[in-house]
Amino acid sequence: MTAKEVVNAVLLGAAWLVQVLCVLGVWRMPHLYDRLHFITPATSVAPWLVAAAVWVREAMDHQGIVALLVALFLLLFGPVLTHATARAARLREHGDWRPDRGEKVHRR
Amino acid sequence: MTEWFWAAAAMLALLLPCGLVAMRGSIMDRLLGLELASPITSASLLALAEAFNRSIYVDLALVYAVLSFVTTLVVVRLLERWV
Repeated sequence: MTAKEVVNAVLLGAAWLVQVLCVLGVWRMPHLYDRLHFITPATSVAPWLVAAAVWVREAMDHQGIVALLVALFLLLFGPVLTHATARAARLREHGDWRPDRGEKVHRR
Repeated sequence: MTEWFWAAAAMLALLLPCGLVAMRGSIMDRLLGLELASPITSASLLALAEAFNRSIYVDLALVYAVLSFVTTLVVVRLLERWV
């Protein structure tokens, strides 16, 4: 096994591990808003690890550039989807996404 | 079998629990299974592109990522307003 193959195996293994933890989190967490947090690493960490593995092999090739674009797209638009999902869940529960009168809101 | 094949197979296997999540609980819980399956599929398509050394599969991963984002957003808006 060459050094490149070892680096690729480590990066791909790390990506898979992140995805497994995300699946476990979505499977096991008790509430929808808890589960939503586990979508984020699958969209923002795992694709970058896979793209890094592709880059180690291909560098500035077509595959390397598109892999980077995929990772960038998921990083930028994954949180948009998570936010939209949380908003939709809140709307379905309360009829409005804004806090109810007298509802405790944690502000920093 | 290269490391790319193993990675792609392992990622594709993770679609099974995503499917199971998408088959239980409330409709919003089911949506989470779909949302989680999308980036996993994109990543596995990237790994498959390297495994088969076919650059067209990488384009497929990009198109899949974009289309799954748009369709999931449409479903979310639908659930928010009408269903």
